[in-house]
Amino acid sequence: MMVSPSNVTKRRRSTFTWRRRLVPYVFIAPNLFIFLTFIIWPALRGIYISFFDSMDGSQFTYVGTANYKAIFNDPTVATIARNTAIYVVFYMLISTLLSLTFAIIINQQKFARGFFRSIVFLPVMLSPIVVGLIWNDVLDRKVGPLNTLLEAIGGGSPGWLVEPKLGMISAIFVGVWVHLGFYTIILLAGLQGIDSSIFEAATMDGATRWQITRRITLPLLKPTTLIIVILSTIHGFQSFDFIYTLTGGGPLGATTLIVQYIYERAFQSPIQYGLGSAAGVILFLIIFAFTALNFLVGKRREAI
Amino acid sequence: MKSISLRKIIAIASTFVLTAGLVATAQSSAQADAGLQPTANQLADWKGKEITYYFYNDSQAELDTTKSQIAAFEKLTGAKVKLDVIPFTSLDQQLQARIAAGNAPDVARLNNPGFYYNSALNLETFFGKKYVNDFVKGSTYQVTDPSTKKLVGVPYDLSMNGPFINVDQFKKAGVPVPTSWNWTDLIAAAKKVQAANGTEYAFAMDKSGHRMSTVMSQFGAYMVDRAGRNVLSSSRFRATKALKTITDLYKADQAPRDLWIGTGTKYSSPVSIFVAQQTPVFFSGNWNLATLARDAKFNFQVVPNPKELNGGGWPGGKFLMAFKTSKTPDLAAYFLYYLADANQMEEMCKKAFWIPTRNDLVSKGITYPTRSADMEIYLKDTAATPAAAYGIQTVPTVIAPIYNKLRDLMTEVMAGKITAQQAIDQQIAFINTQLATIKK
Repeated sequence: MMVSPSNVTKRRRSTFTWRRRLVPYVFIAPNLFIFLTFIIWPALRGIYISFFDSMDGSQFTYVGTANYKAIFNDPTVATIARNTAIYVVFYMLISTLLSLTFAIIINQQKFARGFFRSIVFLPVMLSPIVVGLIWNDVLDRKVGPLNTLLEAIGGGSPGWLVEPKLGMISAIFVGVWVHLGFYTIILLAGLQGIDSSIFEAATMDGATRWQITRRITLPLLKPTTLIIVILSTIHGFQSFDFIYTLTGGGPLGATTLIVQYIYERAFQSPIQYGLGSAAGVILFLIIFAFTALNFLVGKRREAI
Repeated sequence: MKSISLRKIIAIASTFVLTAGLVATAQSSAQADAGLQPTANQLADWKGKEITYYFYNDSQAELDTTKSQIAAFEKLTGAKVKLDVIPFTSLDQQLQARIAAGNAPDVARLNNPGFYYNSALNLETFFGKKYVNDFVKGSTYQVTDPSTKKLVGVPYDLSMNGPFINVDQFKKAGVPVPTSWNWTDLIAAAKKVQAANGTEYAFAMDKSGHRMSTVMSQFGAYMVDRAGRNVLSSSRFRATKALKTITDLYKADQAPRDLWIGTGTKYSSPVSIFVAQQTPVFFSGNWNLATLARDAKFNFQVVPNPKELNGGGWPGGKFLMAFKTSKTPDLAAYFLYYLADANQMEEMCKKAFWIPTRNDLVSKGITYPTRSADMEIYLKDTAATPAAAYGIQTVPTVIAPIYNKLRDLMTEVMAGKITAQQAIDQQIAFINTQLATIKK
């Protein structure tokens, strides 16, 4: 039996289409596998464990919503929520404003732009643990270089890591210092995506530098700024590692944020995996809500 | 199906035979100096098998001695021991994660055995019910499963809290090295030595509720008695006095306040401050001796604990546990037995300045090759420690939170947020909530 040439072409075309459709999935399969195994599965498992009580990770007792109730009845949680809120708000605002400023300044820089970009980005490459240790030394009340300098100019020796209010200020400062470069690079990319002819036209029309920034740069950067707001909010909620090495959550619990609460419930004596997981689920819901809110507000403004 | 069942039967039977062999040899070897020896069958079975030993060390001497003992064990049994050295600060965190992931080690050296009762091997199955009698009474409370009353681990070393002093600085200040003193004497001497030497601090203590319990015991205050009851309220005023004695030093910046307040919930030790000669008195325990003997570039020594109502220190210790998930439970149990036998423990005591947990070594006495005078003081303080100091060990699952809460309340007192009296009242309430969780 003869197969008509048109049928062969059809079959080839269909195989080709099928392959074209499949290839992207083959490419993302390894990444997808890693994502499912190390992100999705542990997250689902975490939600499941949040309804159980376990002190050793091998024996689990179903407790229903008792872990969630225990968290909301824990008197320390209110203080930790307050600390987290203060940290996130200030961290997000300062990070966004500073990274915007830095990005605009670096973008306008004609000389050694790459050098300044590298300098700003440098802290991002440091391990958070190392960052905490370095700043712990720098901010030491008695022998830290900062207070040595302050004392030399008659500024006294503030207890950066010993006074609760200063402890929070130190944590926010170090947090901003760590991530600032990352946000600046994203905003720089956003800035460089704006058509330069818009700036040229504005200059020709006699707009000042401030007017260009206010009327052209900032509005056109809104989508990228929204990303920075979302990212810095998420990072703010997730801050833990460098704070733990910087202050250990002290002084007097002033820098204990929600992730440290989760860590201490899940991994420090007495270990309570269920409670730690429940707190993790709550954190996820908070971050999810804030991200959605930011996104919706951003979208609405865009529409207006 | 049949072959699997047969394999299972063979496995169960051989485990039973090996276990019986171990029990038999343990009982028969009670009189033998060499301790329990593996049988030929066991040696044949263990050859080439590997077990993991999860270990942390306070000093290099402990690590070196452990490595040489492992080498001797491997030679004796033909088995392989993989040594996993873990930092003390993440000991429980990593072990819990490994147990949860089904990757528990075979044997571990632990600080909080109360968390692992469900995962631990019952040692009585391997070494008989009388094995517990090899160890100092009271030292096995924390490794006796409260629900089954079975021995699920062994006390590996006893620790004793107490003060170190910088002898050179004391001499320079013209303050005699104390042979007996109380807290008023200690503080007066420390301040005088500080003034004469211009050190930053007069006194430093580990940031630990365990260390504070020593001072409370000396003032006659205890948190939990041997019946597992909260007894702090009955010694409220003595506890307040003890707490105030220490926190006043920190509030006045005569002790490293920043190290305590500025480290949050993290453990911190001022050992480096003592090594840097910035405090003449360092209140800690015998586990620092090997490190100080190596690092201190000055003359130091251990001095007796201050005596108020009571003398002596505060007991602590480390433990060994073998885990149920071991593929070769009899080998894991034997390795634990080997490390805790008289010969190995004596060697470790001599090299790493440990206080033995075995009755035979306690009665025989240990001759420490160096710093024997220091160890003598620890041993005397151990003998002088009131029996009430062991009470808290009867509630092993809540020891850590009780100590940690005391530490955190001390921080609040040091920062002037609450008074010592309020701290003790809050501690009484907290102990009640913790003990209630056990009763549940």
